[in-house]
Amino acid sequence: MTAAWLAAVALLVVIALAVIVVVERGRSARLRVQLEASNAELEHLQRACSRLAPDGVVQRLIEAGGADGGEAMVPERKVATALFADLVGYTALSERLEPAALARVLNGYLQRMSDAIHEHRGHVSTFLGDGILAYFGALRPDPWQCTDAVTAALAMRAAVVDYNRELAAEALPAIGVGIGIHRGPGLAGLIGSRERTEFAFVGSTVNIAARVQGLTRVHGVDILVTEDVRAELEGAFVVDAMPAEHVKGIAEPVVTYAVRGRSDVATAAPTARADVTDALPGTT
Amino acid sequence: MAHALSQVAWEDCLLEPHRDRALEAFARETQGIPNPNIAYFASVPWVARAFVELHPEYGLLQRLDPEVADLVSLIVSQENSCRFCYSAVRSLLWAKGMSKQRIDRIEQDLASGDLPPRTRAALSFGRAQSRSGPPAASSACQALRAAGVDNDELKEIAYAVAITDFSNRASTIAALPTRPLEQLPEQWHMRLLRPLVGRILRRQQRRGTPTPLDHEPDFPYAHVVRAYGGSPIAPALARTLEGMWASEVLTRRCKLLMLAVIARGLSCQGCAAEVAPPLAAEGLAGAALETILTHLDGPELDDTERLLVPFARETIWYEPERIQRRARALKEALPEPRLVEAIGVAALGNGLCRMGAILGCAS
Repeated sequence: MTAAWLAAVALLVVIALAVIVVVERGRSARLRVQLEASNAELEHLQRACSRLAPDGVVQRLIEAGGADGGEAMVPERKVATALFADLVGYTALSERLEPAALARVLNGYLQRMSDAIHEHRGHVSTFLGDGILAYFGALRPDPWQCTDAVTAALAMRAAVVDYNRELAAEALPAIGVGIGIHRGPGLAGLIGSRERTEFAFVGSTVNIAARVQGLTRVHGVDILVTEDVRAELEGAFVVDAMPAEHVKGIAEPVVTYAVRGRSDVATAAPTARADVTDALPGTT
Repeated sequence: MAHALSQVAWEDCLLEPHRDRALEAFARETQGIPNPNIAYFASVPWVARAFVELHPEYGLLQRLDPEVADLVSLIVSQENSCRFCYSAVRSLLWAKGMSKQRIDRIEQDLASGDLPPRTRAALSFGRAQSRSGPPAASSACQALRAAGVDNDELKEIAYAVAITDFSNRASTIAALPTRPLEQLPEQWHMRLLRPLVGRILRRQQRRGTPTPLDHEPDFPYAHVVRAYGGSPIAPALARTLEGMWASEVLTRRCKLLMLAVIARGLSCQGCAAEVAPPLAAEGLAGAALETILTHLDGPELDDTERLLVPFARETIWYEPERIQRRARALKEALPEPRLVEAIGVAALGNGLCRMGAILGCAS
């Protein structure tokens, strides 16, 4: 009798345990589904945020976590390179295309330009209509920022050539791009009001890049860099000096250089520079 | 286990694992449990051994609390988006008895978490170093000192951060498989074995004792080794560096150039000064070297150097998916041992530069 009772109790315990396991597994599965849904939502949110802020900024804020996330972007003085690009041929396009088609062509152009910038470690800060403002070396220290910016500009030139082939296949007019690049000091970090904050690089460097971009039309070229950028390139690119021009807001005429392409550094003679024996140059 | 980095894009593993019984035995003896991941680097033994030998918790730390070292590793791996190391540290902390909820809490809220101020300062230091590198060293040191951390402990924190930087880069560039680690805490048998594994891990996790160097280091980056003189960290670092310089998979000049590029990218004067004289001895100095470091190319470079000099630059700041794509392209052009050694040199160079910058203010 006692044995039968014990067996019954044991059976009940086993059944109870089994029920608990099944219930807990069900609860665990529901939680997992909720967690995955939350993850997907966060991922979606991150992608959405990435469209509104420069690549890398959102990621760094997320990596930094909640409370001290802003510390990742505390404004600091930096030397960075600003690239300003403007679409050439927009007027002809806008006269011929319906708004939807015009937006499609514009989006295709902006996507290709952004890809070229991102591929060369630049960060698109903002789109100003059909213009693009990008920075190199503003988010992370980058001693090769001028080379990166000019390489990105050449990639943008190549991307426009490719895109024009696609546009020609659709009997659409060709577009062009004018790019101005300048390197200089500025304030980099999250800047803005309580309601709206964005990563920015603030200072005359950006204004000069924009003015230099304007000179591409004056000189009839597509990529112009300032003397500050050319000095950093050290013969890596073939450039042509342009006549100095006055631009709005700058007292002295601005000397610029049109970039033809990359020179073959591997076969070029080393550029003359101070001898280095005790420490590598360029380090601080 | 879904976590903060589980959505980070991650390529298929780049390397083939190779069994090496001597390496496996070395890892088991040191860590108490098998370390299957070193098999991916077995074709270049110094790289594989470095994963085990440089791990802070197996007899290298004298002052720093091992749990703080684990948390530093977790935070730095998160900062570097290393899905592999991040999962590994989470699993390690879980196996040692920390709940997943507590790990999440620590990650999400360093400022107001239930951590002592010194621990919070160490974790903030890890983040700052990974985020900004040597330029942030001085202010990061000051913050640690303000929290009451003395020089010896500061150097151990710097070491824990730098070695995590090394592991993060090596694991990320090679795209080591993350799934097994991510799923570990979900497996019923691991839950069952958790107390036992935790016990083994805690038993192996031993404090370091003062250990003199058996000979004066005379290789590039010896200044980092000397800075840890007296600590068991110094001989461990010396063995790894001697292994790297002795290895002939890549030429000495190629390794020096990769380290010079990383030193320039991180503005690390001490490291730059270490590699300049040996590069001059290899025939690269002055304008020729400047051309290479400015353009990451030059007429003096051979085919392998022409691939690895720009690659070294890519490893300074990276996004996992992009660096893995670049490494895959390298794999097409280089035999696997060269790729493995290149990954090892770049990863170690990044760690040493970050370590070297801190030592200046810790001395």
